[in-house]
Amino acid sequence: MAAIDEYINTIIERGRRDAHHDGSSTIEAHHLLLAIAAEGENATHQALTSAGLDHRAIRDALDREFEHSLNAAGVSLAASGLPRPSKAAKPPTQLGASAKLALERGFASVDRKKDLRPAHLLLGILQAQVGTVPRALALADVDRAELMARLLRTLTPESD
Amino acid sequence: MSGVEIPVPQEPADALAAVAALRRLADQIEDAAVEQAMRAGWSWPQVAEALGVTRQAVHKKHAKRLIAAGVTLRRR
Repeated sequence: MAAIDEYINTIIERGRRDAHHDGSSTIEAHHLLLAIAAEGENATHQALTSAGLDHRAIRDALDREFEHSLNAAGVSLAASGLPRPSKAAKPPTQLGASAKLALERGFASVDRKKDLRPAHLLLGILQAQVGTVPRALALADVDRAELMARLLRTLTPESD
Repeated sequence: MSGVEIPVPQEPADALAAVAALRRLADQIEDAAVEQAMRAGWSWPQVAEALGVTRQAVHKKHAKRLIAAGVTLRRR
């Protein structure tokens, strides 16, 4: 198996755990982002760290996005008062729409699959202009365009 | 926030994100409420009727999780 395939499997497997932790029935793009941050591959790790993002910071940003979006509809997270539900028996196996789109965008950024790098997958996630990930990053004051530019620079020497 | 006022978000991006967040919150509350009801001895038909869905739907969505959590489930 090619190194990139192993990487993709690792990210999806780790993303499953984050989705399970969330009580989500699907693996979404933000779970893949959390997985990439946790995995610590060199280029993606450096780019994320330069933007002040590690697994914890991303999770905090996602929590804020959830609360912020609820507040926009006048709903407070503290309102339910119910005990936390037990987790699903097993982590989800299905990729959600946002994760599929992120992977498609990552794959589409190279002509040949052998050129695919972890940074392309992260770029695929960051390319989304609407949805949970860009909203969470904006709330965390992360310059998404700058982060993408930084990632692209890490890819340039190898593609020449 | 009190949760009493229900403003309608003006921006489409905010309104759509609010819908996604409300669905996620509703799922979380459903998981918690169904578990609480089943721990309190409710039956599947009662929970289904209270949620306004079929017994099959509620069973399919929650049974595995509750069994794994060690909740004693009533048959009827």
